This record gives sequence, C-alpha cells and structure tokens, in this order.
Amino acid sequence: MGKDSEIKVEPTIFIREFNASRQLVFEAWTQPEHLKNWQFPFKGFKCEYHSVDIRPGGISLHKMTAPNGFEMWLLTKYEEVIPPECLIFRQYPSNESGDILTNPQMPGWPKEMRTTIKLEEADGKTRLQLIWQPINPTREEADVFEASRSEHDKGWGGGLDQLVAYLEAL
Amino acid sequence: MARTSTTFDAFNAIAEPKRRALIEAMVGKELTVNQTVEIMGWKQPMVSKHLSVLKQVGIVSERKEGRYRVYRVNAARLKPVQEWAAQFEQYWSNSLDCLEEYLKEIQSNGTNDG
Repeated sequence: MGKDSEIKVEPTIFIREFNASRQLVFEAWTQPEHLKNWQFPFKGFKCEYHSVDIRPGGISLHKMTAPNGFEMWLLTKYEEVIPPECLIFRQYPSNESGDILTNPQMPGWPKEMRTTIKLEEADGKTRLQLIWQPINPTREEADVFEASRSEHDKGWGGGLDQLVAYLEAL
Repeated sequence: MARTSTTFDAFNAIAEPKRRALIEAMVGKELTVNQTVEIMGWKQPMVSKHLSVLKQVGIVSERKEGRYRVYRVNAARLKPVQEWAAQFEQYWSNSLDCLEEYLKEIQSNGTNDG
C-alpha cells in the first residue's frame, strides 16, 4: 500500500470574480438561508437543508430537487471553516438518511473528493477559487480523474478538440 | 492496487495514459498496426496490446482492407466518460453561475433580504 499513498493529482480549479464583499460571499457559502437560494446547477431547482452544522468536523445534509421532481441528496463533511477566507469540505451523494452512496457506474472514479473554497478581496470585488481534488487516490483513480478532465489539458492533449467536437454533435 | 478483474469498460480502458495517447493519435484516421507503431514510436507488441484492450470495449474498431487490418476510433464509446466528468464540472460551474446571480439579486434589493 505504501507506494500508492503519495500519488499526486493536479486539482481542477475554477476561478470566479464576484461583485460582492468577501464577507457576503463567505456567508453565501456557510449560511443555509443563503445556500438554499443558489446551491444548485440550474435555476428552477430547489435546495433544502435538512441538517446544518457548518464548522470543522461538522456535517450537513441537503436535498436538491430538479424541476421534474428528481431528488438528489448530498452529504457535506466540513474540514475547515475560516471566516471569511477559506472553506474546505468533502461532499458525497447520499440518501435521505445521510448514508453515503457509491457510484458503481463509474469504476475507478475517486472515492473521495475534497473541495476547497478560497476567497480574496480586492477593490470591493471577491475572487473565488474552487479547488477540486481526489483524496488519497489510488493510481487508477488518479488516472481516471486525469482522463476525464476537460477543464485542463493535462489529461488529454490538443488532439482532443476534434473528438470533443464530434461528441458534441452526437 | 491492481484489480483482479480482466474485463474492461470505457472507463478503465482510458485510465491508462498510454491508451489515451493512442486514442488521441488515432482520432479521425484509419491506421494499420504498422502505421500506428510508426506514429507512436512504440514497439509493435505494445501497440497491439493497447489496441486489443480498446477493441475489447469498442473504443477502437477494426476493418479488413486487403491484406491489412485498419483501426479507427469509435468516439461514441467515449461519450459516457465525457458525460460523467462533465456532470461534475458543470455542477460546480453552473452552481457558481447561480451564486453570482444570487449575489447580484440580494445586493440590488438593498438590505431587505430575510
């Protein structure tokens, strides 16, 4: 096992700038009254928090409901909560009791992912970095994560453009 | 850790970096094993080994042309992999869009939120 414990994977990083104070952006990430209004992938979704404990070691459980009624539960385990600059958590698909679900359709996908939110303020604007990275991946998990990445070109080189164009057209 | 399973699917077929390089080199072309050996600069047994795994999961298909067999990438088989990753990346990226819109909304409403 020892050899696999030090596998490094480049994280996937999203960077955004918001026209808002760092304090407000941090609150938007850590207060359920805010979270329920935006934490979903599309407008028209609903987000409900069933339990909230946003502090280091705390666990929250929330439900996203798609406009067609499809429900998805997510369990979040918080590792660091440093107002107003940093938030680190692991998020898992779960059921309504908070039992973590595994994803059998995707063999080799990292079992655990860490999300780090870093906030910097400049001139009244807030720059957010969302850093997404597998935790202690096996070699296979690291390779699958690299292979499936489209944000960076580390996993696939430039030759992928044509393939992506083709996939889009399917 | 190596898995004992000998069956492959699209996901573990592309988990091996050499096979990803091979797929990229082959996209949009039809190549014989010898042409592939030349392009990749690998030894023939290595090319054949990886081609055989990709063939097994349908990412590469094979066709006879005279005395030769030619290989091409069947990109549709890679779609599940792309969709899987896109789900997550889109989830974060779209959620950040929603956050941006929400922040705009509550700030334009002044302080009367909640």
